[in-house]
Amino acid sequence: MEPIIHIENVHKHFGRVHALRGISLDVYKGEVVVIIGPSGSGKSTLLRCINHLEEYNEGRIVVDGTPLDDTKNINVVRQEVGMVFQSFNLFSHLRVIDNLALAQRIVRRRTREEAEKIATDLLAKVGIPDKAQAYPVQLSGGQQQRVAIARALAMNPKIMLFDEPTSALDPEMIKEVLDVMLALAKEGMTMVVVSHEMGFARAAGDRMILMDEGQIVEEATPDKLLTSSHERTKLFLSKVLNL
Amino acid sequence: MAEKPKTRPGGGKLFYIPGGDTITRIDPWWGLVALVVVAAVVLVTVWPDPFWNILVFVRGGIIVTVSITVISFIFIMVLGLLGGLGRLSRNRVLRGFASLYVEMVRGVPLLVQLIWWYFAFPVMIHAVGKWLDFSFMIEYQANPIVTAIIGLTVCYGAYMSEICRAGIQSIPKGQMEAARSLGMSHFQAMRYIILPQSIRVILPPVGNEFIALLKDSSLVSVVAVADLTRRGREFMATHFNPIEVWTMVALIYLVMTLLSARGVSWLEKKNRFEE
Ligand SMILES: Nc1ncnc2c1ncn2[C@@H]1O[C@H](COP(=O)(O)OP(=O)(O)OP(=O)(O)O)[C@@H](O)[C@H]1O
Ligand SMILES: [Mg+2]
Repeated sequence: MEPIIHIENVHKHFGRVHALRGISLDVYKGEVVVIIGPSGSGKSTLLRCINHLEEYNEGRIVVDGTPLDDTKNINVVRQEVGMVFQSFNLFSHLRVIDNLALAQRIVRRRTREEAEKIATDLLAKVGIPDKAQAYPVQLSGGQQQRVAIARALAMNPKIMLFDEPTSALDPEMIKEVLDVMLALAKEGMTMVVVSHEMGFARAAGDRMILMDEGQIVEEATPDKLLTSSHERTKLFLSKVLNL
Repeated sequence: MAEKPKTRPGGGKLFYIPGGDTITRIDPWWGLVALVVVAAVVLVTVWPDPFWNILVFVRGGIIVTVSITVISFIFIMVLGLLGGLGRLSRNRVLRGFASLYVEMVRGVPLLVQLIWWYFAFPVMIHAVGKWLDFSFMIEYQANPIVTAIIGLTVCYGAYMSEICRAGIQSIPKGQMEAARSLGMSHFQAMRYIILPQSIRVILPPVGNEFIALLKDSSLVSVVAVADLTRRGREFMATHFNPIEVWTMVALIYLVMTLLSARGVSWLEKKNRFEE
């Protein structure tokens, strides 16, 4: 079977910082891949390379059969790949409903009625049907992140990328976001998730990847990786799990 | 929605109702506007000679001042937006042009710029016209009002470019990334996400620019435009009463600037409450 994301020997430099040092990774349709690793190990950079928010210097990325090397392909790929950010990044000047409807209308060329119908359904799905008319500042962090997930889903992506979606949230709000993500995983969405929520990784993750210093250190099922005998993995996990 | 106390003179506290709706609160600065208007009305009605006569005489000048200011301001906003986008452009040539323009214009006094457009620019056009043998260029006549609008636009456009640049840069990077990750083009993200958000940021400085422009437009009186200031000078030349003329002219400017300031703060409030 063809992987839906194919990453081959990707290198990324920020000036003198060598952020990605030859990453190769295949993700298959319906898979949930959880990426963990210490701060600065290149997790965000890798995720951002997949939808070309970051340009890579070397290597090859193919998303759903479309290679990312041609700039013409980038907007096509971005329509297929939803992204959820640590800091939500909701459009602060738009009501929730318009946060969800805008890109549908101007990118997917749906009518206002269509877009708002889809938006309303998605808001119900993420559990905040009553916030359609609110502005982002009027929502809690957990609600904002669920809107952000719904906004990405409204484009009918084939792949969803999550960059530490719960790490800016108060503890009592983490679960409501993880529940939405779990449901999404159960529906068969292909997901690449940077997160240190071990409960989520165990429940939803098909594969877990530990990154360090721009490289993939270890790759295994969550249960295997969490009980790994690999030195670097053990060291990192002891730090994370003690926190 | 924090209220900025600095825009509130001493009496402001009287109007403040804790937890009350800020929209319904009377802005005490309106008191100052009323005071100045009353002063002008008293002068005009109690001493119609010379104050009413002055007002009638400079009436056309008021219209010219307001028209030049408003028309220039429209062009300034367009030029400022282009200049601001230019300074942020990835294209090095565009960025270079925009920076050169801003840095050059900001280094020359407005009065000198206006004089240059009125006296030097036509001569230059004539010379080039002769060289190219274009008769319409040789016959070019500097229209004072058009020249004034060009001069003000070019000068203020540079300052406005900087305001727009700062406004656009103040929007968190995540907004652009979120827009791009949804498949919007750079243009769409600018048009639908970044610029609408920048407006709230740039509104206060843009309002200040408008008021500054209204005042600086008095400089166009040196390039043969019959604006409020020039009309005042003409009246004085025949009546020799500097105190009355310049007090009246100052009051008229004051009414216009104070009203503009109220308009700006109204716009700011309106924009803030959309949140
Ligand atoms: N825009 C940038 N400019 C310069 N250096 C950058 C930039 N973005 C990331 N880096 C550097 O690249 C390296 C990898 O960063 P990255 O954000 O991918 O790490 P991360 O694993 O996501 O870390 P964290 O857990 O803190 O989010 C770091 O050394 C970082 O300083
Ligand atoms: Mg990161």
